[in-house]
Amino acid sequence: MIPKRLGWIPGGILLALLLWFTFSTYGADRPIGASTGIAYMGAWLFGLQTSEYGKHIANSGSWETFFLIGVLIGGFFTSVFITKTFKFRILPPLWKKHKNSSPASRLFWSFVGGFLVVFGARLAGGCTSGHFLSGASQTAVSGLIFGGVAIVVLLITGRLFYKNL
Amino acid sequence: MHLNLDIVGFFQHTIDLVHKQNHGPIWLIVLIGILFGVIIQWTRVDTFDKIAGFAMLRGFKVPKMLFFTIGIASIGLYFMIKLGYAHYHIKPIMVGGLVIGGVLFAIGMAILGLCPGTGPVAVSEGNIDVLAGLIGGLIAGGVFTYLYPDLKAIMGPDLGKATLAQLVGHDWFIFVYGVALIIIAFLLPSREIEEEVGEV
Repeated sequence: MIPKRLGWIPGGILLALLLWFTFSTYGADRPIGASTGIAYMGAWLFGLQTSEYGKHIANSGSWETFFLIGVLIGGFFTSVFITKTFKFRILPPLWKKHKNSSPASRLFWSFVGGFLVVFGARLAGGCTSGHFLSGASQTAVSGLIFGGVAIVVLLITGRLFYKNL
Repeated sequence: MHLNLDIVGFFQHTIDLVHKQNHGPIWLIVLIGILFGVIIQWTRVDTFDKIAGFAMLRGFKVPKMLFFTIGIASIGLYFMIKLGYAHYHIKPIMVGGLVIGGVLFAIGMAILGLCPGTGPVAVSEGNIDVLAGLIGGLIAGGVFTYLYPDLKAIMGPDLGKATLAQLVGHDWFIFVYGVALIIIAFLLPSREIEEEVGEV
């Protein structure tokens, strides 16, 4: 019987195994990352792939594009067949409880949030995958600085942006 | 300004770029992505409620899993690299970029409730709001690329590619580091948010 949910312990072990495989010379011989892939696609969308930064991220960005295609496939099939959570929806329950009940507001803020996440990740040179998972697992000082700043600001923003806490 | 929607050209060029690197064939990269998507979706850490829920200190599954993963992964990775089965891939310490970027990233993450790796998983299970976030992210990628020549000035200074393990220089450090992270994962409250399904 396949469990419908995975706890943080089995989830963490599986994610560590995947990270080892990806790093190993038998796997991809590189870290896991996601934000460069999104920036790469964004640069293409605006025809900027031959600009200075477009060339700078071409290798990582192309790799992460296929990684993200896999992520979409894996997430979709798991949500349909294992966790049975696939559903079109806009308002997360916790947003309704601590922000508002307006789908338009949620869509607007999601757009703003998504913009900040990718813009910030590109300034920092990585995101949760690149700096946290891959960076901190190598004890990289850059990943630890990013992780420290991000956790503190995440908690402050959560405190200030949401209500009824 | 016009949008470049030549998808065939995009994939031809992208496949070509991947073939020129020694980081695995396309099928393997997609497989790594699939496994990542399965793990993230199966644990449900791809939800607004779990990630923004941590920002509100309502649930701790995300930091517990993150610290636990890094704790285990760091010890194994250290010896894999030492024995030649993997290499270091260290990002530079760009002080300005890390601090300003970290601040913007975390503000966005608390509001969107997702990040670049978990966001696509949330989109794949039907979250239309996160799709709006992904569109915002793609535009941010374009804007950042456009502004990069001017932004470079605030991203430095570059203090090199140090790791704590190399700075300490002894094998025991990686056990202290890894075990400390695993202990933090267990010490964080086990409080979880009751799972509900969102609405349209």
